Amino acid sequence: MSTQVSEQARAAVHELAGDCLQCFQCGQCRGACPNGFDLDQGPRRVVRLILSEDVEKLLACEDVWRCSECRACSDVCPMEVDVAGMMAAVRELQVTFGGVRCPERRAAAIATKRLSRKGSIDNMLFGTAMASRGFVPKDLLATAAMGYKMASGKVRRSPRLGAKDAVEPKPFYVGCALQQDKSALQATARVIRELGFPLAEMKGAGCCGHATRGKIAAKAESEETVLTACPACDHGLHESEIETVPVWEALVEHARREERKLSAKAPRFVPYVGCLSDRDTALASLAEAAELAGAEMVSSYPSLHAGCCGALGGMYRGASEAVHKLVVFAQEEAAPIVTPCLLCRDNVHSAGRKQGVHVYFWPEFFQVATAAETTADGEADD
Amino acid sequence: MSAAITNGVRPRILLCECAGTMASNLDFDWLEQVASEQGEVLRSSTWCSREGQARLLEMTETDDGRPLVFAGCSQDFAAQRFQRLYARGLQMEVADIREGCSWVHEAGGEAVTDKASRIIEAAVRFPGPHSNKLVLKRKVDSVLVIGGGVSGTQAAAELAQMGHTVELVERRPFLGGRAARIGTVFPTNDCGQCLPTTDAQAGVRKCFHRNVAIDNPNLRIWRRTEVESVSGKPGNFEVSLRQLPNIVTQDCVNCGACEPVCPAESAESGGKAIFTEFYDGRVQRTVDLEACTFCGACAEVCPMDAIDFSQSPELTTVPAGAILTAVGCEPAPARLIEHLGYGQENVVTQTEMSELMDDWEEASWLGQQPAKEVVMIQCAGSRDRRRLPYCSRICCMIALKHAIRLRTLFPEMKVTICYLELRVAGVGYENWYLAARRAGVEFLRGTPPRVQFDDEGKPVIEVEDVTAAEKKILRPDLVVLSTGMVPVPDTARIAEVLGAELDEDGFIAILDRKNRATETSAEGVFICGSAAGPKALVECNTEASAVASEIHNFLASAGRRTPPASVVDPAKCVGCDTCQAACPFGAISLIERSAAAPRPTEVRDDGKLAVIDEEACRACGICAANCPELAITHNLDDQLLFGRLRTMTEGVERPVVGFYCKECAGAAISLSGLRHDRYPENVRLVELPCLGRVSALHIVEAARLGAAGVFLAGCAEDRCQYRKGDLSAEEQVELARELLEEAEMKLPLELWHLCAVDRHTVGRRIRLFCARAEGNEEAHMAGLALERTGNPPCEGGEGCVHTGV
Repeated sequence: MSTQVSEQARAAVHELAGDCLQCFQCGQCRGACPNGFDLDQGPRRVVRLILSEDVEKLLACEDVWRCSECRACSDVCPMEVDVAGMMAAVRELQVTFGGVRCPERRAAAIATKRLSRKGSIDNMLFGTAMASRGFVPKDLLATAAMGYKMASGKVRRSPRLGAKDAVEPKPFYVGCALQQDKSALQATARVIRELGFPLAEMKGAGCCGHATRGKIAAKAESEETVLTACPACDHGLHESEIETVPVWEALVEHARREERKLSAKAPRFVPYVGCLSDRDTALASLAEAAELAGAEMVSSYPSLHAGCCGALGGMYRGASEAVHKLVVFAQEEAAPIVTPCLLCRDNVHSAGRKQGVHVYFWPEFFQVATAAETTADGEADD
Repeated sequence: MSAAITNGVRPRILLCECAGTMASNLDFDWLEQVASEQGEVLRSSTWCSREGQARLLEMTETDDGRPLVFAGCSQDFAAQRFQRLYARGLQMEVADIREGCSWVHEAGGEAVTDKASRIIEAAVRFPGPHSNKLVLKRKVDSVLVIGGGVSGTQAAAELAQMGHTVELVERRPFLGGRAARIGTVFPTNDCGQCLPTTDAQAGVRKCFHRNVAIDNPNLRIWRRTEVESVSGKPGNFEVSLRQLPNIVTQDCVNCGACEPVCPAESAESGGKAIFTEFYDGRVQRTVDLEACTFCGACAEVCPMDAIDFSQSPELTTVPAGAILTAVGCEPAPARLIEHLGYGQENVVTQTEMSELMDDWEEASWLGQQPAKEVVMIQCAGSRDRRRLPYCSRICCMIALKHAIRLRTLFPEMKVTICYLELRVAGVGYENWYLAARRAGVEFLRGTPPRVQFDDEGKPVIEVEDVTAAEKKILRPDLVVLSTGMVPVPDTARIAEVLGAELDEDGFIAILDRKNRATETSAEGVFICGSAAGPKALVECNTEASAVASEIHNFLASAGRRTPPASVVDPAKCVGCDTCQAACPFGAISLIERSAAAPRPTEVRDDGKLAVIDEEACRACGICAANCPELAITHNLDDQLLFGRLRTMTEGVERPVVGFYCKECAGAAISLSGLRHDRYPENVRLVELPCLGRVSALHIVEAARLGAAGVFLAGCAEDRCQYRKGDLSAEEQVELARELLEEAEMKLPLELWHLCAVDRHTVGRRIRLFCARAEGNEEAHMAGLALERTGNPPCEGGEGCVHTGV
């Protein structure tokens, strides 16, 4: 790094330090961070490095790329430091002034480059490509192989999602991950169709922008509140000031209003909401779905709502420590894991293969109950 | 105006040579000759010597109406030297030609002597006010104490012991407050329901119920009583009190027969509506009037006929010379700790823990262990900008106390304290911290953002261990929250009734954080204990004694001597509220202008008129400086000020004018003079009571008289003795800047904050300012740098850069 660059970086860090002088290092940011267990240093330490203006260590910090931008840290900070903003600013610094070549950063850079040319990104292939370039740790190659397998069955054409005769269909943002996952997409479409929920896929919408960590804005526009199937999309669209509601929340609410019952694939399940979903509402919506389906939600595993699956907010990277514990728990309980996040499903799935624990995406587990249907609906997904 | 010479009386000028210490640059013969034009000069080598003082005493006692002007040392120094004479009625104007002239200027030259003569002339022709008015002379010898907790009761008992009448008002039926109701307290690890005793009881302390200090005949206790309103003035308040009846009379022997028959449940007692709390023992039982159904069942069974439902609330008015507020504080409400799981089964506060401890002690006797693991969370809801931003200071010690006790009772129990910073500063407190570590308490640096629960309702805490820099999961059986303390709900109302201000955290504000910690912003209204912010018992006890002496002094003193108050001229006042807003003491009010009152021509209707309360006015002069109509006359009026300014600057080509307050800045400047710290003699200083007396007009006048620069020196930042003088001066400086700019006059204009420690630097500061005013700041700095390098000092002469150094 040239002296001049270093001086600029130093000045930028000095300016950042001015915004977090009130930090007293209580560590609540990391306590609240869903990825907290998988970080080397954590947000508190990043703020400390900013305060001590340690530019070299900041430019070498990989943790900032593991941030899933859920903003839990900023929300809990008793001194009102915008911790997530600090993490984003350090990412910005690393982009401008070089520094570490960590896999997460490289992936975000490649995603940015690709998205500046194309409207959307192929999530599965992208994850696989990253793995093949060695940006995913070697011991997690199984994850990459999973990606390949899934990607090969991808669907480019989007099926009809909403009811035909809907009066005012709500816009539905499908996102890259769901679009490319045949079984998940079909299951989602079926729930929506059977409930008769007025929903229409947003035409011409591209990437939500989340994979680039805020470098590129969402390639979608909407004045209305948009329904989403992926929590990463929620974040990406929020960055571009589009209001979103998770589709599962809307579906459950609709089913209750219409007095429809749901069916579940198994009598009991372990919920997992990952890092990006708004934990409380996602868990509440899972619990309500369980009630409508007469299934039991086993949530005695304490950190299941807090740990990150390993995607760290977008990239396929392999299972995290928290997820390994979750899988062991589900195995003991002999219950499948259900998640409203597609990224979580794939990462937890790869972690649970050896133990033979089933992992379902929400609509793969919950379907609309018909008179003919029993609770056991079709074969298990693998 | 008040210049003595115009009255045809020839003043005496006491010219002091100060034992020859001013001979190097003052020509006293010449000075005597010039000064005799102003009055009769009496010259002495040392006026403060035994002979000098004897002569002066004689002059004081014969008092022929001729004013005295002393030309010698500074006002501060003279006040010390002539202390005894002042006590015997000496009144003299001081012309400071020593610290203010000779000692701070270079040897030789006529300029210094000339300056001294100007100083004398200004003092003779424009003397300041001398008469001091005595206010708050008559005071009612009675104190109203609000709050019967440890602080209030102890202060009340001490005041009664000193002989004052005391009205002790308590909202609840029993004295003792919060300390009596909790278990053991730190740092002594015994109960909190004792107070120091009187001489009548040997020993150092006794419980509330056995302490005869509280039974002093001068002390009247008002239970279940609230202060409704306060009127009157400091030293003579009228307080109206509202007292609810106790229902149970003094005949009660506390047999308890009433309790089983009572059908009503009470939230206050946690049991029946008729209940006892044996803390102060002077009232045995009482009835929760909110819960009571007035069925009369208790009265029927009472063997002593001690229950009387015919009582009703009473309104009483009592006189009070002073009021003491000791309303205390209380634990933070539940909404501030909900994020930490408060309201769930396995989460308690430290207060609840102290209650739980009694049951747990019994469990330990039985060999049981109620919990395997306990986690205490410090700063629960505190030091959080969205909840309580402040530190409550007592929670760390409470946690240590409980943690040690838990580990002692249950050696197998895991006790973890999640803390942000342990604040255990106090006598012997560090030993508690050490004792806790020795007892095996685990200290985890880092506080959790929330507490979650698993399916069985067991708490799950995710917290960063900050020292290890890793995230951990704790699964205790019980979470104990160390909550902060908040003001009692009634605090804001009481403050309003008393006319006292609140601080930013909602507690009653103390007058001065350093020197007046037991006074409020309202004169005659005092404060002690936790009403001013959370405090430990040791501090409450100390403050209670401190405030008792403070109030004793207030009631026993002869009153406050104050210089003549400022006066509003109704013929000029237009009734705007500028002065009212500017007055730091609330001494100015706007009244309806009576039809007969004079008024400025532009005021057609009757409108408003400003009036200054003589007793509340401290004569700082802020109102006079701010009045847009120049309708307010300060005792150091504009004519005097302009006169001094003119006299002092006469005969100097480019004077540097300095206005300074006689408080902190005055101390710095006179002490600097004692150190012989030299500065150029073209500096002309004008002393003011407070920097708030300066108006833009004075600054502009100085510029008009040819000043090369003007500086203003007031008290240290935010420490103005008159509260808002420096702020007013700042505004006036800005105004002056604008006026000078309009007039295209450019000169350095600075406002300094000084206090006595600046005695070492103020001379340097003035020298630098002079250089700046002369436009040779760079040369001055170069000269300084040269000196610092240790090179030989400059010889002077052509090209010398040391002018004025």
